[in-house]
Amino acid sequence: MKQNKLSYKIQQYLLFGGPGTALFLAVVIVPFIYGLYLTLTSWDGVSAVKPFVGFQNFVEAFSDGDYWAAMGRTVIYSIFAVVFINILAFGLAYLVTQGIKGQNFFRAGFFVPNLIGGIVLGYVWKFVFNRAFVAIFNSTSLLSTTEGAMFCLILVSVWQYAGYMMLIYVAGFMSVSKDVEEASRIDGCTSAQAMKNVTIPLMRSSFVQCIFLSITRCFVVYDVNLSLTNGEPFKSSTMAAMHVYNQAFTYKNYGLGQSEAVILFLVCAIVGVTQVLIGKRGEVEA
Amino acid sequence: MKKRVLAILLALVLVLALAACSNGGSSDSGSSGGKTAITIFNSKMEIQSQMEEMAKKYSEAKGVDVEVYYSSDTVAAHLSTRYASNDPYTISMVDAKDVYSLAKEHAIDLSDQDWVKDTTQAIAIDGKTYGFPVCVEARGIIYNADAIKKATGADFDPTTVKTTADLKAIAEKCGTGVMKEDWSLAAHYLAEVYEQHDDPDAFIAGIKDGSIKLADDQKFNALMDTFDVLKENNYAKDAAISAEREVTEQKLAEGEIGFMFGGNWDWSVINAYDYSKNMGIMPVPNDMNDGSSEKLVGGGSKYFFIDSSDNTSDAQRQAAKDFLNWLVSDAEGQDFIVNQCALVPAYSNITLDVKDPLGASVKKYADANALIPNYNYLPDDHYAKCGAIFQKYLAGEIDRAAFAEQVTDYWKTAEVGAH
Repeated sequence: MKQNKLSYKIQQYLLFGGPGTALFLAVVIVPFIYGLYLTLTSWDGVSAVKPFVGFQNFVEAFSDGDYWAAMGRTVIYSIFAVVFINILAFGLAYLVTQGIKGQNFFRAGFFVPNLIGGIVLGYVWKFVFNRAFVAIFNSTSLLSTTEGAMFCLILVSVWQYAGYMMLIYVAGFMSVSKDVEEASRIDGCTSAQAMKNVTIPLMRSSFVQCIFLSITRCFVVYDVNLSLTNGEPFKSSTMAAMHVYNQAFTYKNYGLGQSEAVILFLVCAIVGVTQVLIGKRGEVEA
Repeated sequence: MKKRVLAILLALVLVLALAACSNGGSSDSGSSGGKTAITIFNSKMEIQSQMEEMAKKYSEAKGVDVEVYYSSDTVAAHLSTRYASNDPYTISMVDAKDVYSLAKEHAIDLSDQDWVKDTTQAIAIDGKTYGFPVCVEARGIIYNADAIKKATGADFDPTTVKTTADLKAIAEKCGTGVMKEDWSLAAHYLAEVYEQHDDPDAFIAGIKDGSIKLADDQKFNALMDTFDVLKENNYAKDAAISAEREVTEQKLAEGEIGFMFGGNWDWSVINAYDYSKNMGIMPVPNDMNDGSSEKLVGGGSKYFFIDSSDNTSDAQRQAAKDFLNWLVSDAEGQDFIVNQCALVPAYSNITLDVKDPLGASVKKYADANALIPNYNYLPDDHYAKCGAIFQKYLAGEIDRAAFAEQVTDYWKTAEVGAH
């Protein structure tokens, strides 16, 4: 049998890629397209009829003040969270690749928060903020003010994701050959200069990955938002994803909620892809 | 070659098996082992274990398989996912407003059932009864008489609290608690403003078209005066917005505070603590002198309806109807509602005594016909949006005028449910 015949290639594809493709179509592509169709209806989420309304939902989505307020908050939250997650993750990764005693234990330890689900994590921290901190510092709860709730959300997200991103940075550190770093030291670099001019440029793909992952995760944050603040106080910590959920399911404007979800997806995709493109451009290989 | 063909076939079979799952899910759920099987959706978290227990016994005794499900999701959101997957529950327990929005498409007509004549709380739309009231629930101010006696030195008689000033005099000594949850503030307290008007529809229409100024409305101001008393004497006054419901109810149960706005459903939280026996619910006193200080607000709460879609067989529907009749007319069913679930029955033929003190208060008012009916047609986003406004007021971020203004703004675009 010839290996470059089309029928052979199709056979091979179906054999190895078939099940995966079918699953991907069934659980991602088909629902996505159906979801796009729903944005054109004024469906309430329960009713059997789905009245077709054209682009009315998008018009309404653009004039939904609560949605854009939530979107603005999400952007601010994402900026802070992404910056702090990556700084902390990089720092931790640096520390646990220096050969300190018990570094595998520390790696595991920093990674653990990521193993706890967002919902559980939210409840745990809610207890810490509302009861433990209040009892220790004898103050009012941070979660009771608008800024405080936002601060708590960022703090918990950083704590949750830093360990995960740390693993990627650890892999990045390990992939940089000791030879080039040593060579730079022999050429007269200080260790800071070696880090800045040799190690970090060689780790660029780790940065691109980590920043992409943290941006996309922060933009669609829902679980921590739900269990930690649930939008309180006064709906002032509702992130975009939570607003979308409420709009679609609680307020029963499924079509509108779905359109807002599509807008959120586009914003998230544009930011994420732009970031990757810019990041990839300067990637170097040793 | 043979091997390769085999492998491809295997892959195709796997794909087909996946595809087959998608439409084979619901068709075989009607019966198992020859017995009719029905599913019940329970949306009252506090009675889930009792429901499961009951389902087990009922299944054994009646030869019908009963499965009880619970979800902490919003009722409508949860049901919509079940409808979307063509796998609805045979019987669903929903809130009154959901009956209005779901019944026409999803519920069967129950007008011919025996229990209809025994209740005043069933929900009928266009003359057809769709909703089976599970229980009666009412709102008011929950008091802990022991705590009040300790603070004031005198026995507490709830019927003597007729005005805001009466409440204030006691509240200043014994302290209060305020639930910061949006549903408690907006769906329960703010809703009283609408409900205590003779014609809530006209009142809301008046706010919408501007002919009624909420800020100048006497009822609104009277009830907000009372709310201010609760707010000023709140044990967590400085951090009202982060006070947790469980903590507030614990303080009430254990007598650290004397009053809290709530309803008889709060018993399920209170009874988890070391509560004092002398508790009860009294009306929210206000200075209107229109008799509303002698009435609780409430009525039927949580309704069962039976699915009308093709996914449910006639045998299942019959079994579901039998189950509802069993709840009302069978001694065991009655015992289940009143004694095991500690609910206040909505049926006049059920004469068992309600055991928990809050339920007993509600039953007393219900029997005396002193319940102001619920207004079940508030928009779905009312509790969340007005709740956020009310929370700002509770936190002291806005004053009453701004509160009234923002609620009025909300109503400009909101539409009450069809009824």
